[in-house]
Amino acid sequence: MKNLFIILLLSLLSFPAVAHEMVPTYPKWRTSYIDDLLVTQMEMFNKRSDVEYYEVAVFDQEWFPIPFVTSYRVFKLKYLSRVKFDVYIRKQDKDRAVYVCSRSKVVEDYPANAGISSMICSKFKD
Amino acid sequence: MFKKSIVIAGVLYLSTAIGYSAQAENVPITGTVQSRCVISVDTPGVYGNPNAYSLTTAATDGGVQPIVRYDVTLADAYYAQITTPTEFSSSPALSDTWTGSTEVSAVSDATNMGSYETNKVTFGQTTQYDLTATGSTWFKSSSSATYGGNKAFPGGTYVAQVEAVCIAQ
Repeated sequence: MKNLFIILLLSLLSFPAVAHEMVPTYPKWRTSYIDDLLVTQMEMFNKRSDVEYYEVAVFDQEWFPIPFVTSYRVFKLKYLSRVKFDVYIRKQDKDRAVYVCSRSKVVEDYPANAGISSMICSKFKD
Repeated sequence: MFKKSIVIAGVLYLSTAIGYSAQAENVPITGTVQSRCVISVDTPGVYGNPNAYSLTTAATDGGVQPIVRYDVTLADAYYAQITTPTEFSSSPALSDTWTGSTEVSAVSDATNMGSYETNKVTFGQTTQYDLTATGSTWFKSSSSATYGGNKAFPGGTYVAQVEAVCIAQ
């Protein structure tokens, strides 16, 4: 019984916490310091020990990509790290941009690959 | 003699206090309170190989079904979309056919989440759930790949990805 408890405890302790989150749910565009560009700030937190890279993208209602600019399109985000990043789009695309998404980039041959890729999409609402 | 002892004791106390304050550290705990969706990998999936031409996550065939958990803190704000694989992300070259499905494995609020499974929408390999209540939901996927013409899979490592998506409504 004691051994069973120890095995159970060890298995619980060895199970990695793996989660991906991005906020806010409903971001807002605001005027940037560059003419004709709008900006919004997103925040991402990596609690996936099997993922170190996340890709950002902006989509319209039909999931077609919209041109945007961030400091890096693919962020290196270490386990248990948090990053705030600005997303810029052209003013003319404001009404088309509906979703801003972050997707985990799973390394193909990484031994701890969980076999699950995650994507979180926030929505621009008027 | 008594005075000397008091002075020594006082010096020791002060030095200990100073040493303690020098070693004290503030450990910050940060958090942001706002609505969010968190996707957690609860159980990584494993393909079993019950015969030479099949790879499947079915437990009876030696596989493990991947389980992904969604935590939402705002009701009616997110859709969950889970897509089972249609190709290997890493494998030898081959022609294969795929089947897969997703179902609710567990919920944290049986009253308000009980309808998730009946209200799900499936299109292709993707299953969509409307996350109408706050709390956690565990989704379990199954996936099987069969080599064309029931021929044996070439030897090698096979990896495929379940895609778990949380989309703001």
